[in-house]
Amino acid sequence: MAERRPAVILIAGALALLVYALAFASPYGLRVLTVAGVYALATFGFQIVFGLGGALSLAQGAFFGVGAYVTGILGSRYGLGFEATFPLSMLVPFLLALPVGLAVLRLESHYFALATLGIAQVLHLLAVNLPELTGGSNGLAGVPAAVLFGWAVPRGLPMAGLVWGLVGLGGLIGWRVARGRLGRSLTMLRDDPLAAGTLGLDVGRLRLAAFGISALFAGAAGALAVHTQRVVSPEVLEFPVMVSILTISIVGGRGRMAGAVLGAVLLLHLPEWFRFLERGYLVIYGAALLLTVVLAPDGLTGLLHRLTARLYGGRPRALVEVREPPLPSVRPDGMTVEGLRKSFGGVRAVDRVSLDLRPGSITGLIGPNGSGKSTVINLLSGLERPDAGRVRLGGQDVTGARADRLARAGLARSFQAAALPAGAGVLEAVAAARLAFDPDAATAEAHARWALDRLGVDELAGQSCDGLPAALRRRVELARALVRRPAVLLLDEPAAGLTDGEKADLADLLRDLAGEGMAILLVEHDMGFLLPLAGRVLCLDRGRVIYDGPAGGVRQDPAVTTAYLGQAGSA
Amino acid sequence: MRRALPLLIGLLAATSCLSPAARADDTLSFPVLVPLTGFLSLEGTSQRNGAVLALKQTPAGVAITSEVVDTGTSPEAAVTALERAAGSGTVGAVAASMLGTQMLAMLPLAQELKLPLVTVSGTASITEQGNPWVFRFFPGDAVTKAAHARYVVEELGKRQPAIIYQTTAYGQSGKAHLDAAFKALGVTPVFEEGVDPAAKDLLPVLTKALAAKPDVLVLHLHSGPTALLLRQAASSGVTLPIVAGSAMHQPSTAALLEPAELKGVCAETAASPISGDTPEVKAFTDAYRTAFGKEPDAFALGQYDGMTMVLEAVKAGARTPDAIRKALSSETFKGLAMTYKSDGKGNMAHSAVIVCYDGTSRVPELVKRYDDPTLAAK
Repeated sequence: MAERRPAVILIAGALALLVYALAFASPYGLRVLTVAGVYALATFGFQIVFGLGGALSLAQGAFFGVGAYVTGILGSRYGLGFEATFPLSMLVPFLLALPVGLAVLRLESHYFALATLGIAQVLHLLAVNLPELTGGSNGLAGVPAAVLFGWAVPRGLPMAGLVWGLVGLGGLIGWRVARGRLGRSLTMLRDDPLAAGTLGLDVGRLRLAAFGISALFAGAAGALAVHTQRVVSPEVLEFPVMVSILTISIVGGRGRMAGAVLGAVLLLHLPEWFRFLERGYLVIYGAALLLTVVLAPDGLTGLLHRLTARLYGGRPRALVEVREPPLPSVRPDGMTVEGLRKSFGGVRAVDRVSLDLRPGSITGLIGPNGSGKSTVINLLSGLERPDAGRVRLGGQDVTGARADRLARAGLARSFQAAALPAGAGVLEAVAAARLAFDPDAATAEAHARWALDRLGVDELAGQSCDGLPAALRRRVELARALVRRPAVLLLDEPAAGLTDGEKADLADLLRDLAGEGMAILLVEHDMGFLLPLAGRVLCLDRGRVIYDGPAGGVRQDPAVTTAYLGQAGSA
Repeated sequence: MRRALPLLIGLLAATSCLSPAARADDTLSFPVLVPLTGFLSLEGTSQRNGAVLALKQTPAGVAITSEVVDTGTSPEAAVTALERAAGSGTVGAVAASMLGTQMLAMLPLAQELKLPLVTVSGTASITEQGNPWVFRFFPGDAVTKAAHARYVVEELGKRQPAIIYQTTAYGQSGKAHLDAAFKALGVTPVFEEGVDPAAKDLLPVLTKALAAKPDVLVLHLHSGPTALLLRQAASSGVTLPIVAGSAMHQPSTAALLEPAELKGVCAETAASPISGDTPEVKAFTDAYRTAFGKEPDAFALGQYDGMTMVLEAVKAGARTPDAIRKALSSETFKGLAMTYKSDGKGNMAHSAVIVCYDGTSRVPELVKRYDDPTLAAK
């Protein structure tokens, strides 16, 4: 029963809206409800690009306006019917989003937001200054009603029915996207873009897909807005439309389709309830919004979720069956690095580093803080591009390749601070590493359970990553790396914070993995852990290799002793 | 879902018993749907005040109600407000937004609901839709811009105007009519450029305009931009005559400027109540000041005249929206600003005036009246 509770709440909410529409709502009430449906539809798209993907696209209002103008122009000027204008109103913003997205999606956070805002401004200027096409500032009046199979949908209940029917369909699509591979990948991307790349997720492609989908939803909403108003003017391209969509998303609950519906219904009705205050309604409206954001920072649906969890207990996680992930059909034969160099400004972080990670070997990488160890791992995993040198993965030249390409080619890494997404479940966090490989999210979860089981933490599958002790976080992160069955594994201080017993378990696991043919590079400060494990050790100092030889010779090497271990030789 | 269906049917059955019966009283409602927030809030508030003042003149034996609703500046909000108003009792007529895009959005619904819209919107196209339910109590751009151009050419003797207009519906409509009016007078502007209402510095456009060597500056801007351009022109030592659009006549615009900055500035408008050219207008201005603590402008007076004509129709026996529409369509009404008569499209106002500031006060003097609906053709 607990698993079905959200569905019950959703059905109850939908029924309440239906009863209100059929029995209580005046024509005015139906209009407000219709407009709320239009905004809910636009916000579905925004939930995908912003809520899930974390990209603050201020072009959503512009795509809404483009959809509105397509319907307005084709309907009023060329007499095309709904069956032609509606799909075209979705298609045109989508086609516009693709080149725009390619140009701006590589920008970071606020630059991206500003760039998308600029798109809206350009479109607004075009709408105002192309009066022959758009009707200029006055816009285009006399847009025909939506005609379905020869029936002109009248205002009131039929129009509300049409809009909310499409809201239902759009919400279902959005919900499936959010729960599916794309939605999970976008969430990973939002929570940690760097880690997403190292898990094999193509950041650029994912963002572009989200941007395009958001434009489809916005275009559909814009088309329906015009059929509701029967007029299109530059106001549909103005910033208040975008602000409404953003507010609905935040108040309703970021990333949730139900949040888009709840936010739209509430925010469109709220000002209407206080209209009798003339312009004073804005004060009430603003205060209500502020209160909502303060009391429910994760939105109203987030608040409801928390309240039901508190009242009825947490929802038990339905776990899929454990399934062993297949080994990659082509498994690269280790990794070879020659003359790797990287400078940051005037600082040479890595200077002519060469190493050879053979299958079945464990190689240690040591050195004092700031010696370039993490930079080497970042260079090998594609998070940094080398200035010079050559990197081969299984004989293929992968120098300067992107992190996602390297990950898909058989390389995995962990981070110094275990990079698990806040608020995510353990199973989802591990399954994220399979999203680029498996056909669906359920398969990814089945494979994730195998990795958790392999690390002896399968019982964590239903738990949240938040609050996990350091040792368990390390294991979960290691499971994330293992689940892809990589040929080369780069581990950045995996034993940090572990007890002696946990370190011994980790050492056994790493030996097993090496025994299976995996090439492992281990960055570590704990010599007691590393030296018995590694066959070969490299020591870096100021970016240069000062020692490259068997683990047994490290403590005796004067250069290593001077630069790193000290005279006692027991770091 | 099988459990939900009977529940739904039960709820519907129960609520059908509770649905309110149609109200059957004789109260006539006159909603005031105007922009009280957003870039047109100053003008919208004038419109509101004019309507509210007029609706205080309740005809004997008729109960009337009125609700003021802010339409903001979006067409969507205006349409929603109209639908809301239509659901609250028997609506006689609606004091409707002066924002052209909002009017264009409300017109189809007004026609469907059969509700007269009484407005002071200057946007030409609202009376060009073939909609019999719109009545404009403010001269349209065809009248005001013809007066504007004629004053420039015939009274000032200028033939090289530079036109600066707003990139809004108001601005584009006015610019198109100014072009037509100047063309009819055989004059070609030496400069024309639109500016965004959000522009914070108009010196660049002013500099470009002066570079075109005009002999007069013709403005068609909203209130704030008008004041900004005049201040920047005064501080730049511009001595050319300036003939502004109707926003300049508003006391709220003049209040943004020092009297000296207004010296030599003229403006077209439908009326200037604070100039008080008749005892009736003076009485209106005093009543307005008492009620709202502000100075009235032509929008307030136009809306006042419009709603007064509606109430005159009610006094004469009109009790339905259609009866009021017929009265507005066919009767002649002598208002405070001018005499109103529909031209068959809902254009009720056919006069415009030119007011000028002498540089010593913010109250302009009425210098020219144009009482001809076909000014531009002459």
